Amino acid sequence: MSDVETQSQELQSQESEKQAANDNEKLFRLPLSRIKSIMKSDPDVTLASQEAVITLAKATELFIHSLSKDAVISTLNSKRKTLQRKDLDSMLDTKDCYVFLEGTLDS
Amino acid sequence: MASSSALPPGDGKGEDDELSIPRAALNKMIKELIPTVRVANDARELILNCCTEFIHFVSSEANDICNKQNKKTISPEHILAALENLGFGAYKEDAEAVLQETKAVAAKKRRASSRLENLGIPEEELLRQQQELFAKARQEQAELEQQQWIQMQQALQEQQNMLQQQTLSPEDDYS
Repeated sequence: MSDVETQSQELQSQESEKQAANDNEKLFRLPLSRIKSIMKSDPDVTLASQEAVITLAKATELFIHSLSKDAVISTLNSKRKTLQRKDLDSMLDTKDCYVFLEGTLDS
Repeated sequence: MASSSALPPGDGKGEDDELSIPRAALNKMIKELIPTVRVANDARELILNCCTEFIHFVSSEANDICNKQNKKTISPEHILAALENLGFGAYKEDAEAVLQETKAVAAKKRRASSRLENLGIPEEELLRQQQELFAKARQEQAELEQQQWIQMQQALQEQQNMLQQQTLSPEDDYS
């Protein structure tokens, strides 16, 4: 009888894990398929594992976070309530790691 | 509300060059991050383009690392190394954490499903047995309580009887 009880407990924990997995999926705001397509549009890139795409998806999210947060600092400094393009521009000039984006700004 | 994964693939964006992450997903993320600040449209557009550029940049670097190791498939380690090289080492920890979580959840699911499968008892049967157990426990509890109640009644009755006898005898003396 106690076996059945432990099994039932496992069932419940499985369901709560599914819930956690669903929450985990919600952490990936960006669609993995889209990111994979963007990666593949580079002719040099041939194959990427699913886990690599997941890693890059998370990194891109973090990138958006950093970009937004840094830009907002500039917005608040100028005492504005709307984040404008110039906030991004000024911020991209200051940080080294954003240097690669200089080409993007001109477009 | 439809999740972004429900979007049909290739929705009008046939050209590889026009690929980018969906606007709605980006808007949601920014809203959660800085809810009090409004964001101009052209600023959103710019962030979107920067993301795409970021993905290209990191993939390209990861691809180089991958080739140097004479491997054909880009692995998460390559991505992490690329992040480090490009000055985004700060992202490594979080990216790694998410990766571990995904692996752990997937592994647990496999183990759990194989455990249940090995027992040969389907889910419905387990649930049914669980319900039976609960019902049985409830019944036993009810029976126990009823017994206690009966015993209490009996004890109370005996006490009353004794009291009556005591009160009766003095009255007899007075008659």
